[in-house]
Amino acid sequence: MANKKFKGKPFLEIFASSLQEDYRFPLLEFFAFLYALGTFVLANISVVPEEQSVYGLVSSLMGLPVIIFMILVFKNIAYGLGGDLEKGTIQTLFSYPLKRYAIFLAKLLSAVGAALLVLFGIQMFALVVLAPAMILPYISTVMTTYLASLSYPLLLASVILLFTLIVRKGGLAIVIGIVMFFAGTIFQSLATFVSLGIRSPLLLQILSVVNPSVAMQYHYHNLSVPAENLGTETIWAPTSTEVLTYMGTAYLLVFAVLLLSYYFFSRRMNL
Amino acid sequence: MAKSLIEAKGLSKNYGKVTALNALDLQVEESSIMSLIGPNGAGKTTTIKIILGLLRPDSGEVRVFGQCPWDNPDIRTLIGVVHEKAYFPAHEKILDYLKRVCRIFGVPEDRALEVLKLVNLEEAYDRPIKALSAGMLQKFGIAHGLVHRPQLLVADEMTANLDPQARSNLLDLVVELHKSEKVTFLLSSHILPELSRVCDAVAIISYGKVLASGNLVELYDKFTARVLRISTDNPETLAQVILNLSYVQEVNRDSRGITAKVAEGAERKLYGDVPSLAKKVGAKVLGIESGSASLEELYRLVVTRGGGQ
Repeated sequence: MANKKFKGKPFLEIFASSLQEDYRFPLLEFFAFLYALGTFVLANISVVPEEQSVYGLVSSLMGLPVIIFMILVFKNIAYGLGGDLEKGTIQTLFSYPLKRYAIFLAKLLSAVGAALLVLFGIQMFALVVLAPAMILPYISTVMTTYLASLSYPLLLASVILLFTLIVRKGGLAIVIGIVMFFAGTIFQSLATFVSLGIRSPLLLQILSVVNPSVAMQYHYHNLSVPAENLGTETIWAPTSTEVLTYMGTAYLLVFAVLLLSYYFFSRRMNL
Repeated sequence: MAKSLIEAKGLSKNYGKVTALNALDLQVEESSIMSLIGPNGAGKTTTIKIILGLLRPDSGEVRVFGQCPWDNPDIRTLIGVVHEKAYFPAHEKILDYLKRVCRIFGVPEDRALEVLKLVNLEEAYDRPIKALSAGMLQKFGIAHGLVHRPQLLVADEMTANLDPQARSNLLDLVVELHKSEKVTFLLSSHILPELSRVCDAVAIISYGKVLASGNLVELYDKFTARVLRISTDNPETLAQVILNLSYVQEVNRDSRGITAKVAEGAERKLYGDVPSLAKKVGAKVLGIESGSASLEELYRLVVTRGGGQ
C-alpha cells in the first residue's frame, strides 16, 4: 500500500538529528581529547614495555576518560532519549516511516555508539601514534583492558536506558546511574576488605560478573595476605581464561538489559 | 461506495481503572473530512493515537490503508500527523528541519519552503523551533504534517493555539487541500462551529464509544427531524409544561432555550401550543425554529440520547 518507490532516508536522518542534539556542545569530548593526548605523551617516556606495565598504564589512564564517557552517555540517554519521551518529540519520530527498533537503534547509536567511538578514537589515536613501540606488541592486552573497563559503564548505561524508558524521567535516571556507579566503587572496596578478612574471593567474584575489570586487576596483581611463615597467601589470582569468562558474562548482561530495553521500546511502550 | 481508509472495530483501551475506549467502532471513508467530536476525556485522543500506531488497544483492531498501524510504519508515508501540541527538536531551524523531513520521506527539498508558505511561516524560515510562538509552532506542526503530501491527514485539535484569523485560514486550507489534492482528513476539535464549516462526516464519541457516526446530512436527518428549537427567557419553567404535552417525546434545555422532539405530524401542534403555554407560565418566547441547524445542537442531541433515537 505504501509507496514502493520510497526514496527517503529516515534512519540516517533520525540518526543525524540525534547526533546534532546529543553533541551540540562537545565540551566533554574536548577535555577527553586533551587528557588523552597529555597523558600519553608522558606515558611514552616513562613506561617499560611489558604486559603488566601496559595493563597498568592503560587501566590507570582510562580512569578519567571513562568517567567522562560515562557522564556523556548518561547525559545523552537521560536528556536525549529521556527528553524526547518527556517532551513528546518521540511522537514526532513515530510519525516517520521507520520501525520502532530502527528509531531505538538510531538513538542508541548516537547516545552510546558515537560516544564510544569518540573515546576509543581519541585513546587509540594517542596510544598508537604516540607510543607505538610499547602498545602494538601488546595490543590484545590493551583491547582486553578496554573491554573489561567499559563493560560496567555500559551496563549502567543500559540500566539507565531501561529506567528512562520505563519512568520517562531522564533526570531521575541520571541520578540512579551516578548512585549506581559510586555504589559499585564502594562495594568493590568493601568486597576487597571482606575478602581479605574471610580469606575468600567470593564477593569479588560476584562483583566481577558485573565488573570484570575487578577480575582483571587481580589477574595482574594477585589478591594476597601475609602468611604465618613470612610468605604471602594468595586469596585470588584469576587466570586469563577466568577473566575472559567474567568479561563474556558481563557483556551478556549488558546485552540482556539492552534487549529488554529494545523489547520494551519496540513492542510494549505506549505513547 | 467509497473505500474506508480507516477501519476500527471494537477498540477498547484502559488506563489502569479508567476506561478510555469501550468497544469503539469507526470508519473514515476516502476523500471525506471526518470530525471526531466529544467532551473532554471521551476518548478522541486515544482513538487518534491508536490509529497512528502510538498506542496499542487492549482489544479490537484497527486498519489504516488496510494495515495495522502498530506493525506497519510504511503506511506513514501516506499519513500526515498534526498533534495538539507539536514537539520537534528545539534547536533546529524550521526550514532546516522541514528539509530533513523531506529527506526522511524522500520528497524534493523545495517542498519545505512550499509548505512554509502555505501556512504563512516563510518569513520565519531561519528561526530555531524553540523561538516560535505557540501559534507559529502549531502552524509549523501543520506544515510538518503536509510536507510529504499525505493522502490522509490526522489532526488532534490542530487549531488549538491559533488566533481566529489563522484558524479561519487553516480551515480554508483544509477545504482547499480536500478539493485540490483529495486529502482525506480526520480532525478532532472542541470548536464545533468551525468543524461544521469544513466536515462532511462526524463521529460523536462519549465515554469511549461512538454514539453516532456517518455523513453529516444523514445524521441531521436522523437526529434532528421533528425537533423544534424554542428560544425563551425562561427555559426551565417552559420546559416543564412542554414536557407534559402528550405528543412531546423529549425535551432538552440550556440557558438560551429548549429543544423539543415531537411525535410524527405534531410539529404544527407545538407551534400552536407554545405561545399560550408560555403566556400561562409567564415566559417570553423569542422564537421557534424547526430542525436543528448547528453541529453543536446535533452533538448535544446525540449525547443526550446516548446515540439512540
